[in-house]
Amino acid sequence: MEEKPSKVSLKSSDRQGSDEESVHSDTRDLWTTTTLSQAQLNMPLSEVSEGFDEEGRNISKTRGWHSPGQGSLDEGYKASHKPEELDEHALVELELHRGSSMEINLGEKDTASQIEAEKSSSMSSLNIAKHMPHRAYWAEQQSRLPLPLMELMENEALEILTKALRSYQLGIGRDHFLTKELQRYIEGLKKRRSKRLYVN
Amino acid sequence: MRLKQGSFLWYLYLDKIYCLLSVRNVKALAEYFHILDVHGKNTLNDVLFYHFLRHVTDLKKAQINIVFDMLDWNAVGEIGFEKFYMLVCMLLAHQNHLEGQFMYRHSRPVFDLLDLKGDLRIGAKNFEMYRFLFNIQKQELKDLFHEFDITGDNRLNYQEFKLYTIIYTDKLQKRQKTEEKGKGERKRSLYSKCHIK
Repeated sequence: MEEKPSKVSLKSSDRQGSDEESVHSDTRDLWTTTTLSQAQLNMPLSEVSEGFDEEGRNISKTRGWHSPGQGSLDEGYKASHKPEELDEHALVELELHRGSSMEINLGEKDTASQIEAEKSSSMSSLNIAKHMPHRAYWAEQQSRLPLPLMELMENEALEILTKALRSYQLGIGRDHFLTKELQRYIEGLKKRRSKRLYVN
Repeated sequence: MRLKQGSFLWYLYLDKIYCLLSVRNVKALAEYFHILDVHGKNTLNDVLFYHFLRHVTDLKKAQINIVFDMLDWNAVGEIGFEKFYMLVCMLLAHQNHLEGQFMYRHSRPVFDLLDLKGDLRIGAKNFEMYRFLFNIQKQELKDLFHEFDITGDNRLNYQEFKLYTIIYTDKLQKRQKTEEKGKGERKRSLYSKCHIK
C-alpha cells in the first residue's frame, strides 16, 4: 500500500514539469494526491490512472473514488474556484480527504459535519496534518498517562496488593475464590511490569 | 497524618482555592483506583482500603477503620471512586495545610460525612472521632461547640457548622497575613543591619 503512493507521486512530479499542461496540472495534482487518501487503496495503479484522460479530466464518475458527501465537494470546488486559487483550496481539501479517509480506515464514520468543522480551521491545521498524518494515533497518545507515572502507580499497587493477599490468605484462606482472583491479578500485574522492563 | 513521600498521591496537586484536583489529576487517580480494583467491581473492599491507606499514610489501624466506616455510607463494605476521590482530596488538603479551606469549600459533603446518624446534626463525640482528619486540636473543638452551638443542644446543625468554617477560614487568613508581615519585617531588619555593618 505504501509503494503505490510513491509511484503515483513520481508520476505527478513528471506531469508538473510540463508547461503545456500547466492549466490542468493542478487538477492532476488533486487527483494524484487524492488517490492517496482513498479508503480502498487496494486497486492497482493501472486502474487508478484509467479514470482520467491525458488532460486530467475525470472520465469515470462511476469509479466511486468519491465517497458519499465528498464528490459534490470536489466538483463544487472546481466550479467555484479559479484555477489559480485551486492550489490552496485543493491542498486544504486534500488534507481533509486524507484525514477523513484515514478515519474510515480506522473504523470511524466520515460525516459531512465533521468535514465542515475541519474546514473551518485555519491553514495551521494543514501544516499540522502534513507533519502528523496519523491524527487518531497522536490524539490517543496525548490522552494517555505518561509511562513513568504508570510505572509508579503499578509498582505501588503491587506492593499494596501483595500485602492485601497475605490478609486474604489469613482471613478467608488460600482456597477462597477471592484469594485466587487476587493472586492471579498480582501475577498478571507482575508480568506486565516485567514486559515493560524487558522492552525498555 | 502524613502522606508517604514518593507515593503516587504525593505527586498529585490540589488546587489551593477550590481544594479539588484538576481533570488530568483525576484521570490519573481514576487509573490508580482501577489498578487497585482487583475484583472488577469499581470499588475497594475494607481489606484493600486498609492496605492502601496503611501504605500511603502514617494512620493507625483504628483510624483507618474509622475512616472506612465514615466513607462507607451505605454500609456495604466497599468504597466507590467518588468517596475515594473525596478521601484523597482530604488527605492532600491535610498535607498542604488547607484543612480549613477544604472544610469551607466543601462544607456540605464534610457535614454529611460527619453526620453519622443522619439526623442533620453533628455531635461532639463524632467530631472528636474525626478531628485528626482536619487537624483540629482538642481545645479548638471544645471552643467550636462553645461558640457556635447557637441552639444549645450540644450539637451542630449545618448552618452552625457553615458559620464555623467561614470564621475559621477568616482566622486562618488573618494569621497567615500576620505571619507574612512578621517575616517581611524580619527580613527588612536583617537587611538594615547588614547595611549598617
